[in-house]
Amino acid sequence: MPILTRGAFAQADTAKMYKTGSWRIQKPYHQHFSAPCHNACLAGEDAQAWLAYFSEGHIQKAWETLVSVNPLPGVSGRVCHHPCETACNRGQYDEALAIHHIERYLGEQAIQHGWNYPLLSQTRHVEKIAIIGAGPAGLSAAYHLKQRGYKVDIFDNLPVAGGLLQIALPPYRLPRNALQAEIERILALGIDFQAQKQLGRDFSLEELHPQYAAIFLAIGRQNSREWQVDGVIPHHLQNGLDMLKEWIALGKLDIPDRLAVIGGGNTAIDLARILRRAGAKEVHLITHQAHPDSSENDMMNAIPREIIQAEEEGVQLHTQRGIQRLLLRGEQVIGVEMTRMQTMQHADGRSERVSFRGTETVLHVDQVVPAIGQQLDLKALEHLSTTVEGMPVTVHGQTDQPHIFAGGDMCLRSSGTVSGAIGDGYRAAIAIHHTLQNTPLPHPTQTTTITVEQLNLHYYESSPRLHTATLTVEERCKNDASAEVETGFNDEQAKKEATRCLSCGNCMACDNCWTFCPDSAILKTQENASNSSHYVFDYDYCKGCGLCKTECPCGFIIMQDEA
Amino acid sequence: MTEVSIPIEQLRQQQPRYQGISPGHRACLGCGQALAARLVTEASGPDIMIANATGCLEIFTTPWPESAWKVPWMHSLFENTGAIASGIEAALKAQGKSSKVIAMGGDGGTFDIGFQALSGMLERDHNILYICYDNEAYMNTGVQRSGSTPHAAMTNTSPPGKARMGKRHLKKDIISIIASHHIPYAATASVAYPSDIRKKVRRAMHIEGPTFLQIHAPCPLGWGHDGSQSIAIARLAVETGLFPVIELERGALANVMPIRNIQPVTAYLKAQQRFRHLFKKADQRVKEELAHLQALADHNIEVYGLQSDHTDKLDTRGAALVHRRGKHWA
Amino acid sequence: MQKVLEGSQAIAEAVALCRPQVIAAYPITPQTHIVENLSRLVANAQLKCEFVSVESEFSAASVILGAAMAGSRSYTASASQGILLMAEVLYNIAGMRVPLVLTCANRAISAPLSIWNDQQDSMAVRDAGWIQLYCANNQEAVDTTIQAYRIAEACELPVMVCVDGFTLTHTLEMIDIPEARQVDAFLPDFQFSRQLDVQHPHSAGTLLSPDYYSEARHAHHQALLNAQQVILESDTAWEKIVGRSAGKLVSIVGNPDADIAIIALGSVLGTLEEAQEIYTHLPSRLIKLRCFRPFPTATICAAIENAKHVIVLERALSLGSGGILGTEVRSILHTLDNPPIIHNFAIGLGGRDIPVEIYPQLIEACKDTHPPYFQIFDVDLQKLPEEDR
Repeated sequence: MPILTRGAFAQADTAKMYKTGSWRIQKPYHQHFSAPCHNACLAGEDAQAWLAYFSEGHIQKAWETLVSVNPLPGVSGRVCHHPCETACNRGQYDEALAIHHIERYLGEQAIQHGWNYPLLSQTRHVEKIAIIGAGPAGLSAAYHLKQRGYKVDIFDNLPVAGGLLQIALPPYRLPRNALQAEIERILALGIDFQAQKQLGRDFSLEELHPQYAAIFLAIGRQNSREWQVDGVIPHHLQNGLDMLKEWIALGKLDIPDRLAVIGGGNTAIDLARILRRAGAKEVHLITHQAHPDSSENDMMNAIPREIIQAEEEGVQLHTQRGIQRLLLRGEQVIGVEMTRMQTMQHADGRSERVSFRGTETVLHVDQVVPAIGQQLDLKALEHLSTTVEGMPVTVHGQTDQPHIFAGGDMCLRSSGTVSGAIGDGYRAAIAIHHTLQNTPLPHPTQTTTITVEQLNLHYYESSPRLHTATLTVEERCKNDASAEVETGFNDEQAKKEATRCLSCGNCMACDNCWTFCPDSAILKTQENASNSSHYVFDYDYCKGCGLCKTECPCGFIIMQDEA
Repeated sequence: MTEVSIPIEQLRQQQPRYQGISPGHRACLGCGQALAARLVTEASGPDIMIANATGCLEIFTTPWPESAWKVPWMHSLFENTGAIASGIEAALKAQGKSSKVIAMGGDGGTFDIGFQALSGMLERDHNILYICYDNEAYMNTGVQRSGSTPHAAMTNTSPPGKARMGKRHLKKDIISIIASHHIPYAATASVAYPSDIRKKVRRAMHIEGPTFLQIHAPCPLGWGHDGSQSIAIARLAVETGLFPVIELERGALANVMPIRNIQPVTAYLKAQQRFRHLFKKADQRVKEELAHLQALADHNIEVYGLQSDHTDKLDTRGAALVHRRGKHWA
Repeated sequence: MQKVLEGSQAIAEAVALCRPQVIAAYPITPQTHIVENLSRLVANAQLKCEFVSVESEFSAASVILGAAMAGSRSYTASASQGILLMAEVLYNIAGMRVPLVLTCANRAISAPLSIWNDQQDSMAVRDAGWIQLYCANNQEAVDTTIQAYRIAEACELPVMVCVDGFTLTHTLEMIDIPEARQVDAFLPDFQFSRQLDVQHPHSAGTLLSPDYYSEARHAHHQALLNAQQVILESDTAWEKIVGRSAGKLVSIVGNPDADIAIIALGSVLGTLEEAQEIYTHLPSRLIKLRCFRPFPTATICAAIENAKHVIVLERALSLGSGGILGTEVRSILHTLDNPPIIHNFAIGLGGRDIPVEIYPQLIEACKDTHPPYFQIFDVDLQKLPEEDR
């Protein structure tokens, strides 16, 4: 029982004796939501996490965070179709963040400063892992396994590592010095790269098995998909991917004046663009898919920016067109007959491509080049259940044989993208590690993506996305056909763009909750609290008003009924 | 759940910003005044003495034997805060002490019952910062209209009915009256803009002489909104032009917080139960009242030049922006 | 030093000798001369203090409350309407147990408007929790003012020094103004245990629940009762320095064994003392009540013991009840073995003159063995319409 003070004065700072937390019927807590960029990334990157470091000025730390998932940021920053940006919540506010440009910038910074990969684990394991295929999936798997302490050997039929990145990506999109530097950095971790060793020719999976505790297959797709029109296959039909490889390898192509490329994917676009560089006067691209500018569902499966650049370079797009007939003089192609097509959605969800009679047009070309995708070469895969359309694997890359894993383009579930391949390598490496260590595989986390409605946009300045310069069409096609079309961000641009990140679903330590709590029930920490924010709730005093939740720009706080 | 490596009380001791009010006070959930008062002390620091008028703040901070205040504080009566503060200031002057005296009152204690003592305090040139927490009615007694209650607002003594549409009269233009005392600094602020409050308090702390700060502070109970919306509503009051955020020096307009995206008054009114009679049915009276309130907002925007040209970094949008690691806070 | 001074000026000089650091002033007749004199002392640098010319008595009381809370000895003076306007603050000051001194230049209360003397104003705030000391003459006013600070600060209670307006405040008398060193020896520097302090902050003026409010009232009441001892000690100590008492709690003049006792407050006592000297054949014991709050029950009982008649003479009344002082005197009679007959009169209201000739009339009134409960002694009913008599 307190004794009355004279005049009923009170000692300062004593209200703390009264715990207003007892009033609470709803309790705020910190809830990470996956940022849309994170969920969308096929490589598994949490762009928001490294953007956070970056915008705080911790450039190397940002890169280290990035490469703890994706060891090839210089590559993916250039060639990825960046679904992260399509998903970016900022896109619904003003313009999506230029994540790929910052990623590329980080890749360049690392090369320029000679940064080494962060050491992810001290543990060393006796097991050896064989990786077949030194493309992005194989390199990624090799990196992650090496980082987890395994001995790793990579076999590849090519003389150099890199796979399609080396032989099929035009250098104007991916300069070879950048690619080389990142590959070398991976191999320098102590990975044995065995060049010109082809599966089925030089060794078999069975021969590897006793030596290697696990095998990761990432051999890609070797065979071109068969192409014909009404049973007619033109004479001397050349495959698009092969022409692309040839131009990259030799820097020239023997081609007629007018060509039509068939297909709507990145290979088709790349091919069309190199044909212009190789001197073709007319390059047509025919696809049944829709232009990205349209509002159709079935859109071209190529990077929009590449499509735009192709058009700039004079490639003539014929979208939503099907080839009805080849026009032949003897066996020589002299043109194609096209009709308009559209993908129609049925009520049951099924979709169907419909061509419309009476819309036929004729296009005169000297050569038709299909670039419609590749199929899996089943040679040397006899003991695995698979088809030419791709090998079925689990999300962890598991095949039907316990010690064999697979990833990249060869798999049925492949997205056919570089970042998808990098992600496959990452996930398979983790799966291999857990399998060998007899520990349970991590559950594929199905986190909820935070929507733009869950953010408090009032706290963000509207600011347009920063754009970089691109070479003029003249510079691209006339001067140096290998010159990289897009320039990257400079220091200032990269920093500025990074600050546009809304930090969706994750604390950015803006101090709003700390500042607005009327009850001083939120405390700021210098260290990271265990929930990885910079604030802790003092539930002794929190009355549960929810102001912190409303005013959190990032949607990182949610309210929960008290039990 | 231990979320940090040190005990929470120790963490509280290590907070990087001084606060003159500690938790445990009995303010309602989402109380704008509790927040505003804390923000004031954050900028003033501990070398102050506070004279507090009767009202919610006084009641919820000092239920004997407890006090939420960490600074010397006294409450005497409802209407004498300006005079109590004058006395404290005179004593400190006589003793050669330099602590700043801060008087605090609600809108009732400032616009109405305590106005005379405040006016005397200003006229006598005391070195006092007077803070008015403006929640636009007598909230401590259960929501009755004050001189600050806005036109058409419903309170328990200005209920809408067949003959009335809420408060018949206008909100008293207290800042003009205060500024007319020719004091060095008089300003308005809103809890929606904490940095602005702190900057203004700091400015006033450095002025020798009487200064005045009116802080618009929503009362969830009296205005009829959820406590979680206090800041959003305070912000709308500013963004509609109904509560102009301005600074006056020696009676002359010195600075305003321009409005980047001017909101219609209905956005603000709709969010509060005290204006619900304006949205029940669209009869002629309702139309007129809504038009009247919009006209009042437009008038403020015109008179004070509140339209932002989008270049002011400290307009209503710029002043609210967050940055990673909180670097922008004043 | 002996000086011929107007009462107000003497009081001002006494206040100045106490070295107040803050004075709040608001004009009201008949108090105005006191603060005018003080402001002159400040203007002439004879008194170093913050002189705050407030905009109302309400603020005057508030300013000195704030000032005392902030650790400064403070002063104000008022009268009549001013005291009433202050009333809320007066209660507040006392309830917060803040040591302050206020001079009340007693004056009637409006309406009807009267600027002249009676004691309705201080009587109206008798329950505010202040110590109230009434002065019979200006020398007592000077000495009581100085003692008031010592009492207030020792008891942590405010003291109201009541001085009849005009009768004392505007009257020239030969007055001994003590030397500064005498006052300094008597009155320690201002020390207030609960002053606001940045180094040791606390909160004053809190909200008290019903669980403790009764205890707070008890403590306050008890503090006032206990103050009697301090008032006596202060007077004794002062007497040692200057050789005169200011009237203790109560003092008796005349024949202490006389059958008729007269008890009164303030300057009327001077008139009655003079009358005693003139009308020596009409003996009385004059009980000079100096301390009205706390009400010195035991001392008054002792003073009226064995008297057959007690005339309670007062300068105010509780309308609809009767005498204020009379009621309080009556309330203690049960402690006496042979309670006297009480003759309770109000007199000299609103500045009506109280001539020495009133004395024999008062003595004469004691012949009535069944006196009315209360009566305005000098009322002239002929001046009233029939229905108001």
